[in-house]
Amino acid sequence: MTDLSETFALERELRPLSLTDGSIALLNLQAQIDGLKGHCTSVETATLIDLLILRGLILGRISDYERAAQLANRQVGAATMDAAAYMARARTHAVFHRFAEALNDLDRVDRIAPHDAAAKRERAAILQAQGRFDEALSTYSAVIDSVGQFERAAALAGLWAERGEVDRAQRFCLDGLRCYRGISPFPVALLEFQLGVMWMREARLGEARTCFEAAIRRVPAYAPAQGHLAEVEADLGNPQSALARLYPLAVSSDDPDYAAQLARILGEMGWNDESSIWRRWAADRYDELTATHREAFADHAAEFWLGVGNDPKKGLCFATLNLEVRKTPRARELLAQALDANAPGATSARCSGAALPN
Amino acid sequence: MSDHFSGPRALTDPAADISDVFAFPAPDDAQQLVVVMDVFGKSGPSAVFSDAVIYRFRIKPVDIAATGPEASFAPSESEIVFDCVFDVPRDTGGAVRPVQHGRCLTPDGRTVSFRADDENGGVDDGVQVFAGQRSEPFFLDVRMIEKTAVTGKLSFKPKGSDTLYGTNILAIVIKFDWRKMLKGGPLFAVVCETLAAGKRPVRIERVGRPEIKNVSMSFKMFDQVNRDLEIRDLYNSEDAFDLKPDYFDTYRVRLNANLAFYDGLDGKVDWPFDGHGNHPLTKLLLADFLVVDASMPFAETSYFDVERSMREGRPHTTPGGRWLNEDIMDFVFTLYVNGGNGPPVNDGVDAPIAWSSKTFPYLAPRNPPKGAAA
Repeated sequence: MTDLSETFALERELRPLSLTDGSIALLNLQAQIDGLKGHCTSVETATLIDLLILRGLILGRISDYERAAQLANRQVGAATMDAAAYMARARTHAVFHRFAEALNDLDRVDRIAPHDAAAKRERAAILQAQGRFDEALSTYSAVIDSVGQFERAAALAGLWAERGEVDRAQRFCLDGLRCYRGISPFPVALLEFQLGVMWMREARLGEARTCFEAAIRRVPAYAPAQGHLAEVEADLGNPQSALARLYPLAVSSDDPDYAAQLARILGEMGWNDESSIWRRWAADRYDELTATHREAFADHAAEFWLGVGNDPKKGLCFATLNLEVRKTPRARELLAQALDANAPGATSARCSGAALPN
Repeated sequence: MSDHFSGPRALTDPAADISDVFAFPAPDDAQQLVVVMDVFGKSGPSAVFSDAVIYRFRIKPVDIAATGPEASFAPSESEIVFDCVFDVPRDTGGAVRPVQHGRCLTPDGRTVSFRADDENGGVDDGVQVFAGQRSEPFFLDVRMIEKTAVTGKLSFKPKGSDTLYGTNILAIVIKFDWRKMLKGGPLFAVVCETLAAGKRPVRIERVGRPEIKNVSMSFKMFDQVNRDLEIRDLYNSEDAFDLKPDYFDTYRVRLNANLAFYDGLDGKVDWPFDGHGNHPLTKLLLADFLVVDASMPFAETSYFDVERSMREGRPHTTPGGRWLNEDIMDFVFTLYVNGGNGPPVNDGVDAPIAWSSKTFPYLAPRNPPKGAAA
């Protein structure tokens, strides 16, 4: 088994990355977004959409994704022959797991600008998210010369991680870190986070923790990295540290994932009253989100209802929808788990407390 | 903001994205030379300098190597450098603008410390340094430039729309006694660079002349050799004073193609190609640094005057370099379209939201955020 902490240490020794401090990067991301408000050309609107998606990714803010989607819709409405507008909208569709609509938009980009390599890369990413790995790989291979070394390594790391080929994924990830020439900490933190998620799914929690900690060192405000690290810490027997990470996120974020994790950990610690409060909050929010962005939150909602949400039927419903949207190994596993949970006599794995009233 | 968004890589690091460079004799003190680097165009109120970037001013004495149609410069081997670096800002305490401190390492090894946004800046024995957010001094109508490129017709309106109206940049201003600080001269070449800090700093971007990478180099469709190649990142990574022969032809061909396009916009050829098949301005523009005569008094409009005088075989009458308030787009378009043989080209935008002043730190104070202004 690879000792990842040593690998990262070696990376740093070979060529320490000189990156902008995470707090500065976040201030400047905010400044970029503020600076583009109301001044936008079509290209700048596309940039603003990308920046909002990036901030959504880093701060775990669903409202940023929603704003990006609104802008993208408006932009397409204003310029029906603008490839950049369709491209931007494809990205926002993909964020909300509306993959068929995203691919439709990319088809339009292909018709307007047949040689647009960025659109091909976007298509590859969507095919990957849908679990169409071979198509993703061949689409990506066709335009691989058009991307920088880091982007190529990061994309392939993600692809192999999704396929469960962890050693190959890690190799690409380390290649990416080795060849990174930028100073923004975001791409590096996102890559480290991606690797952490892969290890977490493989139940290699030590490696996952190393990766999440590395991502947080780059960008302390990186909410999903904090949330996943909390989850790992709790599973490694350090629930207090997990709670300390999750409380501020659960209070400030519009993503119910942090409240759900908090409810689970509190429940496992026997603090059922407080767990119920967070569970209720998460349940309400999942209901809201799955009403407006059904596909996007199908997987997390399924996990919630199969776990601390304690509603296996609802869990099965969303796990089924999730597999319709993306035929990935993880989606299949989730559905299998949901079917088990709904079998006669089954209890959900991490449920605490009674089922929530409807 | 003539160089804003000048390459795909620069987009990821806005605080390292140089938008403009200026060099001029101080209007308020004839003994002093002023150099200015603007970064982070269209920056919102929270923008700060990166702690991972070295903001570098490179200054070389330069000689006129040739005049007439083959006019060229010969930069000296010697060079002086001002490097500015910044700390991570302290907790903002709820204020929109974080408090950031920086240091400028002078060519003689001194360190001038300053607090960002302090209008007096840091001062040490003849060197004054300001850094902070200011009003964008550049003004242009980007949409009409794009339309011109797409339609092949000059598309400027009598009253254009300033794409940068009311926006802000981060600026570093250094004012110094050039006779004390610089060797040689009085003609100096100025280039600004951003570099990733570290044991071996790596150049991220460099800017000398205005509108080389954007107006002059960005359009690919006229280039019959590298029609699908984005060359600006490559160009950024080069040493302005020592372009690699490997890629020189790539830049040369791109500039030849784009300059020929602009020349044809008025339906006549003002810049016939030379015997080597080059546009007469290509070689001069690829010497991509501002050339300023520090011994001459300040002038409001002086950009390219040294070069134009060289081409015409006469002494220059202004300091050259570039002053903050100059209408660069009108100048560049007039130069490229008719070389001064026709009526001036006016892009319909004649002023920024606020003019720069003639006292340190020169650039106008930052504009309020758009919402606040409304």
